[in-house]
Amino acid sequence: MNKFLIYLSGFVILFLYFISTIFILPGEFLLAEQLIPEPFFQATLSNSEIILGDSFRLDIVSVNNGDYADIHIVSVAFPDLVEIDDVVKIATYDFSLSPSYISIGEKIGSKYSGGVETTFAQYPSIEAMSRPLKSNIETHFDIVVTPNTSGIFNIYVKSIGIPHSSNVSHYPYSGILDHQNEYVQVYSVTVNP
Amino acid sequence: MTNLTSNLTENFLKTRSEIIFLVGSILTSFGILLVTVGGSWDITNHLLSNPETFFSPPHALMYSGVAISLTGVVLSFIGWKNLQKSSDSYFLSLKIQLIGIGLLTGAGPLDFIWHSYFGLDGLLSPPHFTLIIGMFLCSIGGMIGISRYLKFNNSEPVLKYLLILAVIPVWLSASGIISSLSLPFSSTDFFEFNPEPTIAFIIASLAYPFLISLSLTLIFKLSNYQFGFMSILGGLFLLIYSSTAIIPNFAMFDTIQFYSLNLIPFIVADIFLKLNRSKFSMFFIGGLMGSVFYMVYYPYVMYTYNEILLGKLVSPSLIYFVYFELIQTVMLFTLIPAIIMGVLGVIFSEKFAKRILMN
Repeated sequence: MNKFLIYLSGFVILFLYFISTIFILPGEFLLAEQLIPEPFFQATLSNSEIILGDSFRLDIVSVNNGDYADIHIVSVAFPDLVEIDDVVKIATYDFSLSPSYISIGEKIGSKYSGGVETTFAQYPSIEAMSRPLKSNIETHFDIVVTPNTSGIFNIYVKSIGIPHSSNVSHYPYSGILDHQNEYVQVYSVTVNP
Repeated sequence: MTNLTSNLTENFLKTRSEIIFLVGSILTSFGILLVTVGGSWDITNHLLSNPETFFSPPHALMYSGVAISLTGVVLSFIGWKNLQKSSDSYFLSLKIQLIGIGLLTGAGPLDFIWHSYFGLDGLLSPPHFTLIIGMFLCSIGGMIGISRYLKFNNSEPVLKYLLILAVIPVWLSASGIISSLSLPFSSTDFFEFNPEPTIAFIIASLAYPFLISLSLTLIFKLSNYQFGFMSILGGLFLLIYSSTAIIPNFAMFDTIQFYSLNLIPFIVADIFLKLNRSKFSMFFIGGLMGSVFYMVYYPYVMYTYNEILLGKLVSPSLIYFVYFELIQTVMLFTLIPAIIMGVLGVIFSEKFAKRILMN
């Protein structure tokens, strides 16, 4: 009789174990709120107009105004360049990971999917990344640009927080879409011959 | 009188050499335990991208483990060399330990050369795989040495607890082999060593259940059906995994309560086998152990299944969301094969235990 009771208790406990681990607890954990990082940046151009051969500076201060971000990215892209070469130099950089240089034709993530959806780069860019980034911590990414042709020189800047759990997990929230189908802020400098 | 003195001396030398061999085997197993714990912690650090230098705590643990294992193999060799009539019984253990430590220490320079040519490597690379195989062989050698010593010498019952130290590194290092063949952590700029998702899915679904069942029923047999050993071994495994893979990631801290529930099947298995250890009962326990593999290998096993079932981006704070999103689908696909592999684990452990104990 005792043996029967022990077996019965064992099976009941196992039943409860499977129910809890497969159905009850997963349901509860999935109801928990996900972290929502809110990246933001302010970029300042040193000049709006320069003479060919001169340089200008773009200073970017980014911050995560939301929850803890697993990854905080600031991307700076150059739609008028074919290669970054000596045109762009990094002046200040305090992100936790080394900058990543992306060339034309490279496979890159798109639509804020973090690499799940991909596309191919149509112009070069530099990605700055901090893994992780707590709330309200500022990061700096300053570049010096020496354009090698005259005309309008455009720079696309954007910031993304991962997990990309909300529409505020990227900045800017609207505007021009880049080759990754993600919103960018455009900074332009006129280069006179 | 001379014969008596000679016999006494011979016995004394034999006992002393056997103890040296035992200490060597213990150190080999303990060293590998440290390497596996350090390795699991290191994987978590890499996933969290914690700023890391060579002198990080997980690396310190791993290299200390290698040094301890090396000392253990040397001691085992010294002990074995001085054994006379019974040296054959310990040769298999020594041979496996020697091959293992050769691979383990050889993997260091190989890793250095690999890094020099190809930069950072992923979880699966030729040097890493050499290292893991070396760890596995060392732990097998240590386990055979400890088990045979305990069998040949009617030691104090408390010494039987050494079997836990003998089996846990085998379980952890074999888990390392399965993980490196199934987790998608091996893509680098130079090489794409990530396993093909479907093959990874099959490997994880079959090998993890087999391993859990094999490890737990093996200790049950090696300990001569001692009550409580399965629970202690399973509990220790959960403790190591939770402290190296869950606690370091603050986003997963709350899931500790979920993970600790996994002690239940180990305890129930122990109780059931205390009441009845017939073949049917053993097979039931094997199936039970196999069926809980997705829960026991929380959280990283999720990456393998995510590749093929969801394909979501998993950043550290999303690990448990994706894990729990997948749990029912994974159970649906894997439950039956996992139970079958658990039963196979029991059959294999029977043969393995006989071979280890030379029955």
